[in-house]
Amino acid sequence: MAKPPLSGIKVCDFTWVWAGPYCTLQLAHMGAEVVRIETKTRPCVTRMLPPWPDGIFDGLNKSGYFNQYNQGKKSLSLNFKHPEAKEIAWKLIKESDVVINNFAAGVIDKMGFGYEEVKKVRPDIVMISLNGYGDTGPYREYVAYGPAQVPLSGLSSLTGYKGFPPMHAGFSYADPNAGVHGAFAILTALYHRHKTGEGQYIDMSQWECAMDLLAEGILEYTMNDREPVRNGNRDAFMAPHGIFRCQDLPEKVMDVTIDEWVSIVCANDDEWARLARAIGKPELAADPRFNTLAARKQNEDELEKIITEWTVKRRVAYVVDTLQAAGVAAGACADNKYLCEDPHLAERKYWIELEHPEVGVRRHCGIPWRMSGTPCEVKTAAPCLGQHTDQVLATLGYREDEIAALHQKGALD
Amino acid sequence: MAGALSDLKIVEVGELVSAPYCSKMLADMGAEVIKIERPGSGDRARTRGPFPKDEAHPEKSGLFLYLNTNKKGITLDIAKPEGMRILEQLAAGADVLIHNVAPLEMDRVGLTWERMRRVNPNLVMTSIVPFGLSGPYRNFRAEDLTVWAAGGVCVLNGGGPEHADLPPLKTFGSQAGYQGGVHAAAATMGAVFAHARGESGQHVEVSVQESIAAILEMTFEYWPYMKMIATRLGQKPLQPVETMQCKDGYIYLCCIEEHQWRGFVEIMGNPEWANEEIFGDRLKRALNWDALKVFLEEWVSQQTVLDLYRKAQAKRVPFAPVSTMGDLLSSEHLRARGFFVEIAQPMAGTHKYPGAPLKYQRTPWEIRTPAPILGQHNEEIFGTRLGLSAAQISELKNKGVI
Repeated sequence: MAKPPLSGIKVCDFTWVWAGPYCTLQLAHMGAEVVRIETKTRPCVTRMLPPWPDGIFDGLNKSGYFNQYNQGKKSLSLNFKHPEAKEIAWKLIKESDVVINNFAAGVIDKMGFGYEEVKKVRPDIVMISLNGYGDTGPYREYVAYGPAQVPLSGLSSLTGYKGFPPMHAGFSYADPNAGVHGAFAILTALYHRHKTGEGQYIDMSQWECAMDLLAEGILEYTMNDREPVRNGNRDAFMAPHGIFRCQDLPEKVMDVTIDEWVSIVCANDDEWARLARAIGKPELAADPRFNTLAARKQNEDELEKIITEWTVKRRVAYVVDTLQAAGVAAGACADNKYLCEDPHLAERKYWIELEHPEVGVRRHCGIPWRMSGTPCEVKTAAPCLGQHTDQVLATLGYREDEIAALHQKGALD
Repeated sequence: MAGALSDLKIVEVGELVSAPYCSKMLADMGAEVIKIERPGSGDRARTRGPFPKDEAHPEKSGLFLYLNTNKKGITLDIAKPEGMRILEQLAAGADVLIHNVAPLEMDRVGLTWERMRRVNPNLVMTSIVPFGLSGPYRNFRAEDLTVWAAGGVCVLNGGGPEHADLPPLKTFGSQAGYQGGVHAAAATMGAVFAHARGESGQHVEVSVQESIAAILEMTFEYWPYMKMIATRLGQKPLQPVETMQCKDGYIYLCCIEEHQWRGFVEIMGNPEWANEEIFGDRLKRALNWDALKVFLEEWVSQQTVLDLYRKAQAKRVPFAPVSTMGDLLSSEHLRARGFFVEIAQPMAGTHKYPGAPLKYQRTPWEIRTPAPILGQHNEEIFGTRLGLSAAQISELKNKGVI
């Protein structure tokens, strides 16, 4: 049986909140042993955020947020007020291949685990800091919170309905984006180390990582010296290109009516003709208001109205199936319930459903890739806080009585 | 110092964003990438701009020029049997094949892992597929918007409860492509690393929809944990976390922790209304947001963006400007870090582009060459690399294979 790609690779994980944990999640997915260093004295924010079973917050191990992004990792609880805790971290670092954190710049140095110190005990370590602004530059010590990184990146000023103020992305997009870019960087550095024996340090700014996703906006400015105009869901080179209202979900959820929507795109005249036939108006294909891209762009309000008249009376899954059968790109504008019940993801076995001691079996998102030779697999649910403290200490050579004494002292809080 | 990946040879059959971004990430770290484009029209990104002076031209598209730095470009029609044979020859001498050929097209031209592993068992073949290579949506036609929506992101963004009639909103640009690309880059490097450690080559299949569903913050779990649907129409649980208008632009207010709110109140000069019981904690500020918003809007509208940003940061309050492109290009911080890079390409001219996502201490990220002109490296690759004669090359040209 082939081993996963990172089997035997050990990651000392000082990360918290989302960007860092999303980075180490990728490494855990590939089979690395990821030990998250946590502390009961200041638990990870996501352990205290919803969703919780039945909506009740009664413990640090029940958050769906934490449990999603920490699958397959171990949790070691250390209270660095105690010198013994630092000693434990150093023993762990000595056995690690990768050290990672996403604190603000300089914090890891103040804690005593900066790269200069770490490389003294592990010269070939791969170490990465995923902070908001990067390690250098005049704003390096600025505080970055997930939601604020989206507007900072420039993405918000480009996103929004025509004539409206800038919009967000609806989630802290810069965080996971930084996390997965960071995973790529670690793998690249591990590959380099494998060839040369050399470790290295990687300085990452979440801001810069996010700007790599908006080249079209940046180049509009650098090539033509103007700010792009926000234009909703529309596209300059395709029409229709939008999100259209479908029938509401027939049953209310928590007394709320749920609106449902579908995205539809025609990349050329032929696809437009197919869409026209599929919605029972074949004559629209040759209609001079719509028969070319230029005409459809000119009359886009009317075009969207006609499509909505058809979609609004139909369920989203029916619309998608009908248009796909006609060869038109359409996709459900999926909400979390839709995704969670999606027969496609079910057949692909995307979800992870593992027993967790405090929340039981809950559906989580899994690994977005499949490897034919070195299969990746989530083997354990996210850890409870400090669940692996004793186990990790034992592998570092601590005896049972020593571990008990450390507990007694509070070094493992 | 050579790039970390300078010993890797990569073949890309990619267009638009996902596969090109994936292979750009490897190319910018030193890998050799041979990019295959359709004879005649080439990569669709060539048609999408932005273009200098708005003059559409296949060699001047900003999106194409950005996504294809450091690559060699050849034209090849893999739907023709001779074309597929040449792809096999290229794959035989490569470490990695990265593509985003749609599944129906893969079937039609016979692009399969079984075929590629026969010519090179050490190859890593990465297929970036909108909905994956199995399941009922396998053959769905897809554009960036339809996959971004199907991944679950669009419902989270839009006008909020006051504008429930406005549709869920896409994020700017081709974000499904970028997320498919960067997740594929990580997975590809996993397989490359495994091969370096003695495993054989393998097929890496990346689903773009699944890559997006994996980044929905805590919203996916609201269903399995609480049977709640999370959308743009829900009320925010805490405030203020909102965009607001200043005199000269927009700022993003962000007070998650209590000390951040107190810092903000001090910056505002401790106005009396801030002591009202109804604004007493972050949950109350969310419940009474309608009232709070009026006070904040009035005060914020008298401020300038950079001044408020700096004052807030001085008190460790994580506000951020809603950066325009102009703000980014003139940012003293980004300038000090050298983020933007100038790239000269003979036809499009010299422009600034987004630069390195990460700074490696030892192994450089660098732009060695601009994106290729369509078919720029045909002679070098078909002649010098594969050893075809001038007569053979011209015959392939006549047949429309290259």
